[in-house]
Amino acid sequence: MIRYILGRVAQAIFSIFFITTLVFLLVRLTGDPSQILAPEFATSTVEDKIKVELGLDKPLYEQYAKYMGGLLTFNLGTSFRGPPVSQVLLDHLPATATLALAAIVVAIVVAVPLGVLSALRRGSKIDALARGVALFGQSVPGFWLAIMGILVFAVLLRWVPVAGRTGPSSYILPALVLGLAPVAGIVRLLRSSMLEVQDSDFVRMARAKGLPEGVIVRRHELRNAIIPVLTFAGLLVGGLMNGSVVVENVFAWPGIGKMTLDAVESRDFPVVQGTVIMSAIFLILANLVVDILYVLVDPRIRFKE
Amino acid sequence: MTARNGVARFGRMLPLGRGRAKAADAALRPGRHVPVVPLVILVVLVLSAILAPIISPYSPLKIDLTHALLPPFYQAGGSLAHILGTDKVGRDVLTRLIYGGQVSLSLSVSVLLIGGSVGIILGLISGYAAGKLDTAIQRGVEVILSLPTIMVALVAVYVLGQSFLSVVLVLSPFIAARFARMVRGEALTIRKRSFVALAQVAGASHARIIIKHILPNVAGTIIVISTLEIGHLILLEASLSFLGVGVPPPTPAWGLMVADGREYLSTKYWLSLFPGLAIMATVLSINWLGDWLRDILDPKTQLL
Repeated sequence: MIRYILGRVAQAIFSIFFITTLVFLLVRLTGDPSQILAPEFATSTVEDKIKVELGLDKPLYEQYAKYMGGLLTFNLGTSFRGPPVSQVLLDHLPATATLALAAIVVAIVVAVPLGVLSALRRGSKIDALARGVALFGQSVPGFWLAIMGILVFAVLLRWVPVAGRTGPSSYILPALVLGLAPVAGIVRLLRSSMLEVQDSDFVRMARAKGLPEGVIVRRHELRNAIIPVLTFAGLLVGGLMNGSVVVENVFAWPGIGKMTLDAVESRDFPVVQGTVIMSAIFLILANLVVDILYVLVDPRIRFKE
Repeated sequence: MTARNGVARFGRMLPLGRGRAKAADAALRPGRHVPVVPLVILVVLVLSAILAPIISPYSPLKIDLTHALLPPFYQAGGSLAHILGTDKVGRDVLTRLIYGGQVSLSLSVSVLLIGGSVGIILGLISGYAAGKLDTAIQRGVEVILSLPTIMVALVAVYVLGQSFLSVVLVLSPFIAARFARMVRGEALTIRKRSFVALAQVAGASHARIIIKHILPNVAGTIIVISTLEIGHLILLEASLSFLGVGVPPPTPAWGLMVADGREYLSTKYWLSLFPGLAIMATVLSINWLGDWLRDILDPKTQLL
């Protein structure tokens, strides 16, 4: 198991190394970086200043060493608006993190009972509902659902605020929209893994022993069926990241997703680059944690290698 | 209905065994016959996208400010001349929806063809070769799969510039990675089957074994992932267009149309409603068909 975990850590380090190098090269291979890096209406003196600041006049390996060194110390450069990129990121982190957390709560509270019931009562109305929710959640564009949600619940009914992060009620709509795609994924996965587990020898054994149905479902079926859902957690984080860029922009939510797109629009490259690198690193680490947890939860994996 | 119940009852009488749940499930499921609704929607969509220049009454790009922001036909002031109304510069919404289908489908199919073929080839090689080559390819796949798609697309489109081609280039590696992983998994198990060993003994080359013996056996999986991925791609493309980093305006992309309609949301909701419905109907139909195909072909693809 130790070997497996070390292997995964090495993989994660390699991934981080790869994405940071890719971003570095992408910027420099597509022409004069000082033009990409400079704000839109920058004068040539500003471009020259950026050249010196980033050491673009120096050889490539020296630039690379400086850039990687900066990353190690969480020095992501400075925004064209003044503050360091790391500060900009930290300022926007709470809004994004709390919204993501709310969406995860929505996803778990809705999806787990729905997935379990759908498998237990296969072919029933609740199963049809679960399958419908899963299909809908997988197919509806989040940005459009968000806009329609605003129209109905904020503009027409005035139940929730139209946009912004103004208090607990402002979380409702964005969290529901952001949580829908994960709900769909979890319901599908949990349903199929519950069906598979129901058909296994240990469940039949538990039933033969005369255990109460509730115990069988909770202790034998759900506990085993939840394992494949855990692997989904890594994908879930990635999906939430994609979703939050979209949702934050619709709801004018002051988080990292909106900030990044604003930075793209104002051509504030240090911010764009820093955010992409940090979110990639975060996602890679999240996947690493999920994989390690997975081994700890399911000892069978240890022998799989 | 009675027939279905009969089969279900029969299924319950079968001796306990691994196949039981699956057989009963299949019999209970209404989806064994072709789902007509999504099929019709898709046929209409594909035909109208192909025939767009012939069937659409207006040009998708021509600006006509005298007819700006007309409501759809069912509203006061609307007419059948512009069935779904016009946008803020007087372009016919229905026409742009039809052309939007063209954009959405051609972009997703391009990505699927490019990314999919690369992914299938890598997956086949990876699964068949096993060992070091497999590890190397899978490392690469892992890296790509661990990247946040939209974030990477933001920076890449920023650097490459906004165009149809850059969106295709940005999304293809993600699709390739997903295909490579799924196909590799299948190829790994097929590789161990006796007909592959027999072919090896008979002196067939690696290329021949991969093409003649392994590829046909992963075809089912490839079809199923393709349907799932194309729905996923249409949503991704629409999200990127909506965010303003997809295909550039004035291209009639559905995501762009939803975004354009936003500023009139409280008074002219239809500007955002219809393009969104088009996206949803398309993706829903594709996913529905994909689920049905998976039930029939039954490969071990749960969710990716």
